[in-house]
Amino acid sequence: MSAVKWQAAGDLLREFQALGRASLLYDIQDSHSGNMAVRRTNERGQDEIVITATGSQKGDLEPSQICFLSATETDYGYYKASSETDIHARILALPGVRASMHAHLKDLILATLDDAPKPERPPDFVPVDPLARHHLGAAVPVDWFAVPSGSPELARVIPERLAAHPLTIIFGHGAMAKGRSLREAFFRLCVGNYAGAVVRSMERLRIDLGAVRSALAADPARALAAPPPDYEVEGDERSDFRDEEEILKEFVKAGHRVFESRLSPFHTGSMSVRGVATMLYAPKASMPREVGGPLLRVPLAPAPADDAETALHKAIYAGSDFQSVMHCHIAEAEAAAYYVYPGETAPADRIIPVDAEGSFLYLVIPVLPPDVPAAALIRALHDYKAVVVRGGGVWSVGGQSLSEVLHHPSSLREICIFRMGAVERGLDLRKMEPKKAKRW
Amino acid sequence: MSDYPISGYHGRVLVADLSRGEVRTVPLDPETALGYLGGRGLATRLLYDTIDPACDPHGPDNAFVIAASPLIGTNAPTAGRGHMVFKSPLTGVIGTSNSGGTWGHAFKSAGYDALVVTGAAASPVMLDIAPGRAEILPAGHLWGKTTHETNDILAAASEPGRPARVLCIGPAGENLVRFAAVANDRNRVYGRCGPGAVWGSKKLKAVRVQGREKISIADPEKYQSGLDQAIYLMKQAPVTKRLMRDLGTAGLVELINLIAMLPHKNFQDCVHRDEDVERVSGETLAKTLLEKAGSCYLCPIGCQRHTRVPGRAGGEERGEGPEYETMVLMGPLCGIYDMAAITRANYRANELGLDTMSYGGTVACAMELAERGLIGREEMGGLDVSFGGAEALETLVGMTARREGLGAELAEGAQRLAAGRGRPELAMTVKKLEIPAYDPRASYTQALGYMTSPSGACHLRGGYAVSLAFFGGAKEIPRFSLLQSPIAIRNMQNTGILQDSLGVCRFTGYAFSADPWARMASGVTGRDLSVARLEEIENRVATLERQFNIEAGATAEDDALPDRFADVPVVVEGRERRVSRDDQERMKRDYYRIRGWDEEGRPTPELRRALGIAERRR
Repeated sequence: MSAVKWQAAGDLLREFQALGRASLLYDIQDSHSGNMAVRRTNERGQDEIVITATGSQKGDLEPSQICFLSATETDYGYYKASSETDIHARILALPGVRASMHAHLKDLILATLDDAPKPERPPDFVPVDPLARHHLGAAVPVDWFAVPSGSPELARVIPERLAAHPLTIIFGHGAMAKGRSLREAFFRLCVGNYAGAVVRSMERLRIDLGAVRSALAADPARALAAPPPDYEVEGDERSDFRDEEEILKEFVKAGHRVFESRLSPFHTGSMSVRGVATMLYAPKASMPREVGGPLLRVPLAPAPADDAETALHKAIYAGSDFQSVMHCHIAEAEAAAYYVYPGETAPADRIIPVDAEGSFLYLVIPVLPPDVPAAALIRALHDYKAVVVRGGGVWSVGGQSLSEVLHHPSSLREICIFRMGAVERGLDLRKMEPKKAKRW
Repeated sequence: MSDYPISGYHGRVLVADLSRGEVRTVPLDPETALGYLGGRGLATRLLYDTIDPACDPHGPDNAFVIAASPLIGTNAPTAGRGHMVFKSPLTGVIGTSNSGGTWGHAFKSAGYDALVVTGAAASPVMLDIAPGRAEILPAGHLWGKTTHETNDILAAASEPGRPARVLCIGPAGENLVRFAAVANDRNRVYGRCGPGAVWGSKKLKAVRVQGREKISIADPEKYQSGLDQAIYLMKQAPVTKRLMRDLGTAGLVELINLIAMLPHKNFQDCVHRDEDVERVSGETLAKTLLEKAGSCYLCPIGCQRHTRVPGRAGGEERGEGPEYETMVLMGPLCGIYDMAAITRANYRANELGLDTMSYGGTVACAMELAERGLIGREEMGGLDVSFGGAEALETLVGMTARREGLGAELAEGAQRLAAGRGRPELAMTVKKLEIPAYDPRASYTQALGYMTSPSGACHLRGGYAVSLAFFGGAKEIPRFSLLQSPIAIRNMQNTGILQDSLGVCRFTGYAFSADPWARMASGVTGRDLSVARLEEIENRVATLERQFNIEAGATAEDDALPDRFADVPVVVEGRERRVSRDDQERMKRDYYRIRGWDEEGRPTPELRRALGIAERRR
């Protein structure tokens, strides 16, 4: 039995506390739910699991609520640790896995609920958004359990699922994700919940989800925009522009707002402010204040190593006078891009606000196809400042500041929520929209 | 209605050659109209095609151009402003000045898109313009009269439904004061860069216009969509919905002081006692001197101040203002916090036809010279010209306009005054234009704006960074970012070009940027004037102005702040701030790059070709 440390300190404590708080901010836990664990080699060179205590409040973890257990033996810490410790231990034994996290992904769970008799295994969840398709795969397993919490059955099945998938769903309960880091596990949970939110939003908009999924299955490359960048577990601490104090502060504020206001799941999206020869670039725009992400200074000239996301930022600057760009994944907007008006067969090419603020700020917000050429996207950004790319997120631009560009996705989310609410209530959107907006 | 192929234009440019005494109408090339819009853009192009930028600004080879825009004549908010462009006698580079009031709309209603005046008359003249009629008339009877007197005499020709609107100079312009203004509606002025001196050198006293010609709107629905959006946003933004109407531009005094940007004693520091600042604030003006607010043509903002003040020798005087710039540059910049004295000096300057901004900056320079013993009390007949000398401020207005005594030196502007006294570094100018009432050490963006403004230190042509650094709302920008400032100021300058070229007010920028204007302009003309297209026009005009200046002899060395701003810090939010020479150089070079100019700030031949300004079109 190893010597047990009971007071977490330093970076490890901060990481658990920060991600715990972030999970509450993102509303994927209740006050006491969920758990998270990492596997590491401790200061004595011993293999160790660090896991949250059972019943602890993840939004306010105390140093004593982080438990340090042997990865190979049962020690007395086991009695204070999460009731799901066995599951975590087995997940953490999978090759390449250094972290695992469990959360109550309400949107995803709602999207996978059914009323079929059990113990039939529910169908896999099929995401329709580009983030989940890329980061979680074309199908996410769902399992029903008679005892869906802390049971030996869970400890057997969940690690099996996670051996083949980044994330797995426990029917009616939550999801479990693995990662190379705790951040990656949290990232996958947020992406999973986002995928559920997109589907739920489509359902609320009465979009034919079956048709969307069929089109996606038939030709995924055509149905979605360029895939997002892979998740990088290294480099979050990099900050290339500490000398630009005011802009740095703007990035931190905007990143936190994007995350907390659900304008994009954790560490997704991107934002930049342009200089003359370089741009200041946050490739993980959605950054809770205490977690952060890389803040890079990148040459504006195109480079062969640029991913599609970075390249598009550069192309927008090359083709315009804009000073700031933001790319977000807003669940409600992603769903709205597929909305088909009653009596019509194709999705609308614009989102027309029906609320007062939205109506005047944005006469319309165009919806562009997934394969829209960069030049057409830039032209639309000139005219509308914010555009939705079907299967590709929301792009927005500002003439002066990051704060300015942040306002666009934030307003757009409200616009989409109002429209969705109107449909849910059985109201006729066509009657609510200004007639002339159809021509704008 | 005009049969011109583009709605919103009459398609006519009125050209007056004062040397020959001829007036003629020439067609406006549609390509030029769409490539430069109107106002500042169109006027700059027409001036560039008319004169040699190296000409003597006081000579007959100089010209001035005033242009209206396609929005003037519609009900677009604030769309009634005219823009005048000329070679400046004060700076030697392009002079570019803008005025509200009603003249711009009246001129468009007379059936013209632009007025080009060349040559010089042998004796005083005026232009009289109405639909289908334009004449050069003798004006000897008006010479020597104030702007108010001239306006009132000529406006008496008004007819019901067709008011006569008058643009004129006062004695300052007649006496070639280098910062003489051109006035309209009595107290609205084309103030900066000395247009009044250009008129004076041409012996042109006034231009009277009358008309009722209408323009058509090609796509009313599109136009209306932009208009709806603009009105809505103006009703929301605090500056446009209330601040300006309640407090006028002087409402900025206390706010600018809060951000340590309010200049003091010829920019020696930004330190004031709060109670002193309150004495010259918009709030105090509203409580004491304000009679009522007023508006320019079609303006829902209403920043005009109609005021009354006790006369210096008893009685009461009535007039307009002072505006923020006047209040500060004639006030705290001169160490003066006497609102009544500032107001009376402002009245006199308007009547005599002086730019109150350059006047304030020049008097502040004189006061520092006096403080350093370089101007003796005896030169002013015992009058105290040191900082705080309110009587001197009032007395020197008339002396400057008439070039009497020390006034003859002041009439040359701060740079020539200070140089003449052996201390050129005491002139707070860029390209010889006196710096506005925002200390550049408190915002790198504003500093760069002054440096790169085509007309010298002008917050309106150089980019009104303060508006976004403090009142920008969602668009608020960092004040001390070397990285962001060059692009931020380029974009602000471009926004200014757009507003000036559409004939609309800067203050609309507190509520919205290009989008509603693009819809309105596209709707009026029926042409593609999308935001992207407007950006092209903005960049074209900016580069044409630069090219004009290069041909006038300006170089990159002229794009610099006075030494004081690099050497003497001010304290902003607890930190010492200055704009070092290295920082100036870095921002300037980055600015040139973002404009596509070479390292010396010269537009490259390739860029000029791409923008269609490679050749001068005679």
